[in-house]
Amino acid sequence: MDKKTAVYICTGCGIGESLDTEALVKVATKEGKVPVCKTHGFFCGPEGLAQIKNDIENEGVNSVVIAACSSRVNYDVFDFGPAVLTERANIREQVTWTHKANDEDTQMMAEDNLRMSLAKIKHVEPLEPFQGENMVKTVLVVGGGLTGITAALEAAKTGYKTVLVEKNQALGGWLNGLHRLAPRKAPYTMPEEVDIADKIKELSLYPDLKVYTGAEIEEIAGAPGMFDVSIRQDSGISTERVGSVILATGAVPYDATKLQHLGYGKFANVITAQKLEELAGQGKIVRPGDGKEVQSIAFIQCAGSRDPEHLPYCSAVCCVESLKQATYLKEQNPEASVYIFYKDLRAPGEYERLYKKVQQDGAIFVRGDITGIDEDDEKNLIVRAQDVLTLSEISTESVDMVVLATGMVPTTAFGENPEAQTETESGDKAPAGEVILKSNLLNLAYRQGPELPTLKYGFSDSNFICFPYETRRTGIYAAGSVRAPMDEASSAEDAAGAAMKAIQCMELSDQGSAVHPRVWDLSFPEFAMQRCTQCKRCTVECPFGAINEDEKANPLPNPTRCRRCGVCMGACPERIISFKNYSVPMIGSMIKAIEVPDEDEEKPRILVFACENDAYPAVDMAGINGLRYNSWVRIIPVRCLGSINLVWIADTLSNGIDGILLLGCKHGDDYQCHFVKGSELAEYRLSKVSETLDRLSLESDRVRMEEVSIVDYDKIPAILDSFAERLEELGPNPYKGF
Amino acid sequence: MDEIKNVSLEMKDYIASSGAETLSWCMQCGLCTNLCPWRLVPGEVSENFNIRKMQRLGQLGLEGFEEENILFACVTCGMCQINCPRKVEIIDNVRSMRNTTVGAGFLPPHLRPIAGSLHANGNPWSGEREKRAAWQNGLDIPAFTEDTEYLLFVCCTSCYDTRSKKIATSIVRLLKAAGVNFGVLTAEENCCGESIRKLGDEELFQKLAQGNIDLFKRKGVKKIITTSPHCLYAFKKDYPELGGEFEVMHYSEVLAQLVKEGKLSFPQELARKVTFHDPCYLGRHNQVFDPPRELIQSIPGVEFVELDRSRNKSLCCAGGGGRIWAEVPMGERFGELRITGAVEKQADTLVTACPYCIIMLDDACAGLEKGDVLQVMEMSELLCTALDTK
Repeated sequence: MDKKTAVYICTGCGIGESLDTEALVKVATKEGKVPVCKTHGFFCGPEGLAQIKNDIENEGVNSVVIAACSSRVNYDVFDFGPAVLTERANIREQVTWTHKANDEDTQMMAEDNLRMSLAKIKHVEPLEPFQGENMVKTVLVVGGGLTGITAALEAAKTGYKTVLVEKNQALGGWLNGLHRLAPRKAPYTMPEEVDIADKIKELSLYPDLKVYTGAEIEEIAGAPGMFDVSIRQDSGISTERVGSVILATGAVPYDATKLQHLGYGKFANVITAQKLEELAGQGKIVRPGDGKEVQSIAFIQCAGSRDPEHLPYCSAVCCVESLKQATYLKEQNPEASVYIFYKDLRAPGEYERLYKKVQQDGAIFVRGDITGIDEDDEKNLIVRAQDVLTLSEISTESVDMVVLATGMVPTTAFGENPEAQTETESGDKAPAGEVILKSNLLNLAYRQGPELPTLKYGFSDSNFICFPYETRRTGIYAAGSVRAPMDEASSAEDAAGAAMKAIQCMELSDQGSAVHPRVWDLSFPEFAMQRCTQCKRCTVECPFGAINEDEKANPLPNPTRCRRCGVCMGACPERIISFKNYSVPMIGSMIKAIEVPDEDEEKPRILVFACENDAYPAVDMAGINGLRYNSWVRIIPVRCLGSINLVWIADTLSNGIDGILLLGCKHGDDYQCHFVKGSELAEYRLSKVSETLDRLSLESDRVRMEEVSIVDYDKIPAILDSFAERLEELGPNPYKGF
Repeated sequence: MDEIKNVSLEMKDYIASSGAETLSWCMQCGLCTNLCPWRLVPGEVSENFNIRKMQRLGQLGLEGFEEENILFACVTCGMCQINCPRKVEIIDNVRSMRNTTVGAGFLPPHLRPIAGSLHANGNPWSGEREKRAAWQNGLDIPAFTEDTEYLLFVCCTSCYDTRSKKIATSIVRLLKAAGVNFGVLTAEENCCGESIRKLGDEELFQKLAQGNIDLFKRKGVKKIITTSPHCLYAFKKDYPELGGEFEVMHYSEVLAQLVKEGKLSFPQELARKVTFHDPCYLGRHNQVFDPPRELIQSIPGVEFVELDRSRNKSLCCAGGGGRIWAEVPMGERFGELRITGAVEKQADTLVTACPYCIIMLDDACAGLEKGDVLQVMEMSELLCTALDTK
C-alpha cells in the first residue's frame, strides 16, 4: 500500500503545557518526513476530528498517527474505517501524566514514543479478513443430559440450527437416575420433582434441532465455522457440518470400590448416594439385602473427596444432595434418625434453607473425620468419628444404612494416556507437555490430541476468571459438570452461557474476526512457508491447537481456530509468522527507532514489553492516578508475552539499550494469562536467553520478567524503578555505541 | 481424646422434650460462646463453661454437661440468644438441660434451701409467708379490689431484703404521686417463679405460677405493674403457657407514660452525672430501653451518660438464671466490670431498675471500694429524691 502518513499531535489534557510540541513536530516532519503534521488542543473534539477527516478525504491521507492519549481510550473516536491505518503514540498517560513537565528526559520519552509509532506504521498493512469456505452456523451439542439439552434449547430458541448427540438411547443423563431434585424455588426446603422429561419434550418443538441418540462422535475435523463431524449411530455414520461445539458430557460418581476404608464392598448396607436415589425411586427405602425398612441412616460426606488419596477437590453438590436425601427418610418416617458426618457443610445460597430444615427436623450433624465403621450381627452399622465440636471421639447408635456421598469425576478424566509410554527428558525445565487422554468424547482430528486440554483434575482448562466457558480449543465450549463440579441450576446457567459463546464464535468467524479476548481483530497469522524448517514449535506451543500439520510436517494453520495471540510468532526461530499489523520486523524497527544516548550522557534506556491485556492498562492507570516513575523506560505493547520473539532481545541489547523488562500476566495453576500459556512460555524462553546473555558476558539480570495484574497499577513505579536501580548497579550496556 | 463417647438419642430426645425444641437448630457456629459475658472474666467457671459446647453435648446426648460449673453457669442474659443466626432458643435449652438433673432431684447443694423456701414460704429468701407484707406497715397502701385498675406485684426480694424494701416503698410513693389507681395482694402472692424455672425446677415453678394465676383470676386482676423485670418476664412470657393472660408492665413503663401525660413531674433539680445499667430482663428480654432513660432525663439538672455496653448490648450483672445465689470470687464478677465502666464514664450515680441488679452492683461497688465516687441507686429511689423541692 502506498502510504500518505499524517501525524496529529494533541496538546490537550496537559500535554501542551508539559512538552515542547514544536520539537515533536520536527521529529515527525524532519526525521519521519511525514507530509502532514498538525497540532491541536482537542483532537478528539469535533473541530479536531474534522481536521483529520478533511485530510483523509481531501488530502489523500491514508495512514494516521495520533500522538495523544493511550490507545486504550478514544479508540472509537479515532477509528477512520478499515481503509485508514491508525496508530497511537501514547504521550499522555505514559509521558505527561507520569513525568516531570518541561523536562529534557520527559521530552525525549515523548519523542521516542512518536518515533516508535512512526516506525510501526511503516510496517502495518491493511487487513483482509479471513474467509473460510462453506462456513455454517450450526451448533453441535455433545451430551444429552440437563446441560446438553438446555444448551441445545437455548441455541435453537435463538434461531440457530442445532445438533444434539447423546451416547445413550435415552436423553436425560444423570437426572434419569434421581428420585427428586434439590429445591430450586421458594421456600427452598422441599425437594422437587425431576422435570427433565418436560425439557426433552420441548426439544421436539424446534424443527431445526436434530437429535441423535445412541450415538457417539466418531470424529470432529476442521475449525470454527467449518467443523466436519462424523456421528456413529448404530452401525451407520452420519456427517454434519457445524460452526461450533458445546461439550456437555458431564461427570460420573467417584468409584466407590476404592472406599473400602468406609466399608463399601465390605458391609452390605454401606451404599452410594446414587444407589439411595434408586432405592428411594422404588418407593419405601428398604435395605437391598434383607428388605429391612430403613429407620436410621448415616450420610458420610466427602467420601473420597477433599482427600489427597482420592479426589483432592470438593464436588460442590454432595452436601446438598445428602441433605435432600435426608428429607426422603424423614418424609417416610419423621422419627427416623439421621446422622450427617461432614468436613465442612457446603450448602451455598438458598440451599441454606434446606440445611436449616434438615437441622430443625432433628438430624445430627457431626463435623470431623470418620475413624471407623463396624457392622453388628444384624448387619447394622456403627460409625465412629472425631467430633471436633466436643473434641472427642464419638460412636453412633447402630444405624440401618450408611450412604457415601461420593464426588464427581469429569468424563474428560478417563481414557488411555497416549504419552504414558514415552520417556520424559530429564533436566529440561520445559513446560510440562499437555497430556490429552483419549476420552472418546469429541475425537478431534487435531495434531495436538483428540480432546480438550484439561487441568490437573481432568476438568477442561479455561481462563476461569474472564472466560469460563472457553476451552483451549477455539469454537468448543465446555458447560456443566464436565467443566467444573456444579449443581443443576449452575449447569443450566452454564449451558446458556456456552450456547451464547458458541453463537458468538460462529458469527465472528463468519466476519473473519477473532473471538475472545481479541473480538473484532481481523488480523491473522500468515506463514512464509518457503522458509519453514518444520521445527514444529508453532504447532506444539500454540495454546489453542490452531495449527495442524501436513504429511511433510509443514504447519497447516486454521485461522478460525486462532486467537491472534502471536504465541506462534514468538515461537518461530525462522520468524516466518507475521500478522499484517504485528510482526517481528515491525517490533524490531520500533526498537531501532529508540534513540539511545551515549554512555557519558548517563541516560540509560530500558525497554518494557508490556502485555496489552493487563500490564499496559496497569501502566496507563499509574498515569491516571498521577504516579511517577523513571523516564528511562520505553514501552512497547505486545499482544501477549508469548508473542515475544527472542530476536527482539538481541535487537534491543545490540541497540545499546541497558535492560529489558517483560511485564505480563501471572502464570501457574492460577494463571491470569488471557492466552493461557503465553506468560509461562515467555518465562521459559527467557530462561534460554539468559544462557545466551551470559555467553556474551552480558549479565542475565539485564532481562527481567515481572507479573502484574490490572489492579497492580500502584506497584508499577516500584517495579520500573527497582529495575532501573539494578541496571545502574550493573552499569551501562557495553554494546552501547557499537 | 481418650475414650469413645456414645451418642444417646434417648438422652437427646429427653432434653428436647423438656422444652429444648430448638436444640437441633444449632449449627455450632460458636457466636454464642464469643458473646457470652463469661468470656470477659477469668476463673474456673469461665474456663469450663462454653455455651456452644454445652448445646453440642445436648445434641448428641453425651455426658459431661451435668457438672455444676457448666450446667448452672449460664446467667440467662440472652446476649447469645438475640444474636443467634439460627434463632436457637438457647435459654430454653439451658433450662431443659438443667431440668434433666433437677427434675430427677439433683439440685446443687447451695440451691436446695432456695427451693425449700419456695416450697414452704412461696419466696426464695427464707422469709416467713406471714411477713411478706410487713414492709407495707404505715404506708397506707390500698388492697386490690375489683375496682382497682392495677395490681402492684412486688418482687420477693423487695418484700424481705432490707436494702431492697426501699425500692418497693419508692415505687409506691411514685405511683401515689402520679395518682395511679393501684392496689396490692402481697400477703397472698407467691414468688413469680422466674428464677426457679431457669434453674430447671419446672414442677416447682408450675406450682408457684398456678397459685398466682388462680389468685389473680379470683381477684379479677387484669393489669399488673411489676417492680422487678424478672416478674415482668414470668408474667408476660411464662404464665400464658399456663393460662395466665394479663396486661403486664414494668413500673418504668407506667411512670414514663405518666410523665409524658404530665401527670408526674420532678421539680427538684439534681446535680448528678447519671448512667444507666440495662437489666437483661428489662432490656434484652422485654425490649424496654427508652422509658428508664426518659425518666432519668426528665429530672432537671441530671447529666445522662451511656455506658459503653448499653441497651441490647448491655452487660449482665450476673444475677439471672439463679446466679444471684451463686458464690463467685472477687475478680470474676460481671458487676465489677459495670462499676468500672461507670467510673470510667465519670458518672457519680449508677442507676438500674431491677432488685437483682441492685444486689449484684452494690456488692461489686463495695468490693471495689468505689462507694466514695459512685452511688448505686435503683431508679425509683433516684426519682423519689427529685419528687419534692427541698
